Amino acid sequence: MMFRGPDGDIRLFRDLNLEIRGGETVAILGASGSGKSTLLGLLAGLDVPSEGRVLLVGTDLTALDEDRRAMLRGRELGFVFQAFHLLSGFTALENVMLPLELAGERQAESRARAALDQVGLSQRTGHYPQQLSGGEQQRVAIARAFVTRPRVLLADEPTGNLDRNTGHRVQDLLFQLNALHGTTLVLVTHDPELARRCQRVLNLENGHLVAA
Amino acid sequence: MNTLRYGFRLLLRDWRAGELRLLATALVLAVTAITAVAWLADRVSLATETRAAELLGADRALVGNDPLPERFEALARVQGLAVARTLQFPSVVLTEERTQLVAVRAVDANYPLRGSLQVADHADGDAENTTATPARGEVWAEARLLIQLDIAVGDRIELGEEEFVVSRVLMLEPSLGGGFQNLAPRLLMHLDDVQATGLVQEASRVTYRLLVAGDNAAVNQWQTRVQPELDESIGLEAPGEGQPAVEQVLDAAKRFLGLSALLTVVVGGVAMLLTIRHYATRHLDRVAVMRCLGATERQIASMLTWKMVLLGLITAAVGSLLGYLVHLLMLSLLADLLPGLPAASWRPAAVGLLAAQVILLGFALPTILRLRRVPPLRVLRRDLGDQLFRGWGVYPVALGAIFMLMWWQAQDLLLALYVFAAVLGTLAVLALGAGLIILLLRRGRPAGASGLLLAGLVRRPWTNTFQIMALGLGLMALLLLSVVRQDLLNTWQDRVPDDAPNYFLINIQPEEADALQALLDDQGLDTRVYPMVRARLVGINDRDVRPSDYQEPRTRRLVAREFNLSWLEALPEDNHLVAGRWWGNAERPEPQFSVEVELAERLGVGVGDELHFDAGGQRYSAPVTSLREVQWDSFNVNFFVAASPGVLDAAPATYITSFHLPRDQQRLLAQVVREYPSVTLIDVSTILDTVRSIMAQGARVVELMALLTLLSGLVVLFAALQVTREERQFESALLRSLGGRRALIRRLAATEFLLLGGAAGLLAGGGAAVAGYVMGNLLFQLEYAFNPWLPVLGVLVGALVVAGAGLLATRRLYRITPMRLLKSAEEG
Repeated sequence: MMFRGPDGDIRLFRDLNLEIRGGETVAILGASGSGKSTLLGLLAGLDVPSEGRVLLVGTDLTALDEDRRAMLRGRELGFVFQAFHLLSGFTALENVMLPLELAGERQAESRARAALDQVGLSQRTGHYPQQLSGGEQQRVAIARAFVTRPRVLLADEPTGNLDRNTGHRVQDLLFQLNALHGTTLVLVTHDPELARRCQRVLNLENGHLVAA
Repeated sequence: MNTLRYGFRLLLRDWRAGELRLLATALVLAVTAITAVAWLADRVSLATETRAAELLGADRALVGNDPLPERFEALARVQGLAVARTLQFPSVVLTEERTQLVAVRAVDANYPLRGSLQVADHADGDAENTTATPARGEVWAEARLLIQLDIAVGDRIELGEEEFVVSRVLMLEPSLGGGFQNLAPRLLMHLDDVQATGLVQEASRVTYRLLVAGDNAAVNQWQTRVQPELDESIGLEAPGEGQPAVEQVLDAAKRFLGLSALLTVVVGGVAMLLTIRHYATRHLDRVAVMRCLGATERQIASMLTWKMVLLGLITAAVGSLLGYLVHLLMLSLLADLLPGLPAASWRPAAVGLLAAQVILLGFALPTILRLRRVPPLRVLRRDLGDQLFRGWGVYPVALGAIFMLMWWQAQDLLLALYVFAAVLGTLAVLALGAGLIILLLRRGRPAGASGLLLAGLVRRPWTNTFQIMALGLGLMALLLLSVVRQDLLNTWQDRVPDDAPNYFLINIQPEEADALQALLDDQGLDTRVYPMVRARLVGINDRDVRPSDYQEPRTRRLVAREFNLSWLEALPEDNHLVAGRWWGNAERPEPQFSVEVELAERLGVGVGDELHFDAGGQRYSAPVTSLREVQWDSFNVNFFVAASPGVLDAAPATYITSFHLPRDQQRLLAQVVREYPSVTLIDVSTILDTVRSIMAQGARVVELMALLTLLSGLVVLFAALQVTREERQFESALLRSLGGRRALIRRLAATEFLLLGGAAGLLAGGGAAVAGYVMGNLLFQLEYAFNPWLPVLGVLVGALVVAGAGLLATRRLYRITPMRLLKSAEEG
């Protein structure tokens, strides 16, 4: 698989063949700079490889333009980021409503309230991100990720910015909701402990994926 | 998805985060400037349009300098039209102690046929509408006349050979005519009283009007019947055509103010260009997250466009409100010149709305819309998308928007092109100067601590060049309008010698001329009484002359009017020949004319051409044998066309003279007016004072506009500070963590701002001085010297204003701890 980097095409991954079945939970472990995030971006269709193909729920992402990929993402994918990526100036509720509204969902508000209730934040719906703790912010992000009932959830170091205790609680929540919704989970991390909670753990080393 | 709602939510968010303040301020200032002018212009033109008929006091009017033939009036009566007659002439009123030039209008009982007069019972009384006119033996006077004469309603005044009681105060009257009569206070009297005053005699300067009004069809029928019978000496006026001179001045003023408002837009645009990239950069992450969550390019573009449109609506509302207030302020400055304007309309608010959208469209939207191309991968890799705003692609759109606004404001493609080129040229010269200063500072920068003082300025050359340029433009406008204007006025006034004539006597009858000359001689006044013949130019060589032969409006009016001809024996001292020869001192030289050189150019005549004049039905012809240059502002009596002695002997003449009368000899005036009631006295110093006060009032309005431009210039400074804020924050924290004291850092910043303001002021002062020199010498033909103090003044004002504003804007930076500074600098 080739990937177009800032200085031209670079071959980041070699003979990379990965198939993830529906409902499976997979962790990709790797040191920083190993290309885990780039791989995640390719899986999400945030970028396309200059060589090779990515299929998401049966659709070839590499054959779609950016707008179609965006719509597909909105329909089938949920994201949880290390930096939370909540929109400042939007309340918790508005943040959770955003993907629903982008997809033109009419019941956006009631569904977003239900999702926040599931992560235990029904009392904090009107708060802005800066009024929430790190753990709370990540719970809002998790609610936002699940609210569209995606078939695949992609998580990038979801506890990387949290202290240990909070991190554990957020992990629990993530896996509980994943089990509840039967979502396929792909998790990228350098934390072996978090990785072990997944059914399958892969190591990314020198552009090769190897089972741990 | 409802992108409008999202646009609004994004806007609210940005507002709360304080990210829109500068953009909004620049926009509000621009809309304020544009709408203030629009409101002013709108109300002035509304006044001329909607009250055009009232201004005329009729549906149509015939105007002439001789009594109008009875048949036109008879014809109007046959058509069932209402008819009124008026007479207008300048004269002087007397009380025991004082004299005052007035514009007299004598009217019959039917006046006015359209509109009404406003009168009051005393000078401070409430105005009431009336269609009555003064009874016989009474006059109505404008309030300022009462003040000038120090009298009240009920007092008596002398007008010619009669005495009158001032019975009411005239607040508003359908007004007509241009020239100095507009400057003199008005006096309304009964038409039948004119005879007894002895003021109107043959060849007096009198304007006769026949007013008609009635239903449209009848008026038009009357006009079609009358028109073929009119010769050059009688004009037909319809509503809206009454005041060509005033209208032209207002029109020119409107365009000038409109274009100076655009200067604020240009400077505001620079602020926007500076700040918009920074603003857009802060939105990269947000848009990337939205893209990641499934937003399409279209959705993003639509949201962002709505956001800008809403911003435009809000700033237009605020700007229009401020513009309305500024226009009220302007009106209060112009109160004496523009009495009784109609209520404001909503049209200027719509103009503001449109302008705000065009400005945003031109300066902000192209950059903002680039955001829709943010790679969604940015959520994982922060460095992506930073290059999005590189390139010069946004500038042509901005320039295009500015040009469209100028074109629309000027209503004239050529003028718009000139102004556009001038603004771009000035900006380019300022930018070049700014770049040069920074380059010199960079080269000449000493090593060590004092070099550190200059570091800030040379390290950010592009931003600083931009800042100096924009601030310079604002400062230059202000200097031009305050210092240079005053300089030019002083230069002009210096040209008028102290003993220049301050009084004119006109309408002197031939039989009075010798006695009056003797009276003036007795008083030791050095003066001459000149004959004056009113004649119309009817032919040049073999062709007939008509106003329609000429393109230029001023020439047309000159040809349509009667010329004042005179005959001279010797060439006056303040005239000098530029072509041909003077007729010498022979008792009876060959018939010949000498023409003022500018008039000759306008008419297209030269030495050797034969001119034909008509005075009182007689034709007077002679060849042009010389062209003269005349120094008009000597205030001596001068003539466009002078004849050799003998040519005009048979023509009806009145006499004219001018003289300088010292203050302690003013009593002579009362004597002249009493002994020669038909002679009209014109007080030049009063007219000069009035002209000066009109200029001062107009200038204050323009200064107000310049102030808005300067405020825009300050917004540019703040915008530039915002752009460099993070860099400054980081540097300041770094210096402090390395042991730099707060005082040192503040001194560094103060030096930078002083230099920045000083550089902008230097360029502005230099630019204003050059512009003043060019205007003075080329435009006004004044010997105006380059004012070396302007750059000095510019440096001082610029340094103080910029340092004050700059330190105010950055004071927070020096208060917080280095740790917090470094942290917040990292977070952006």
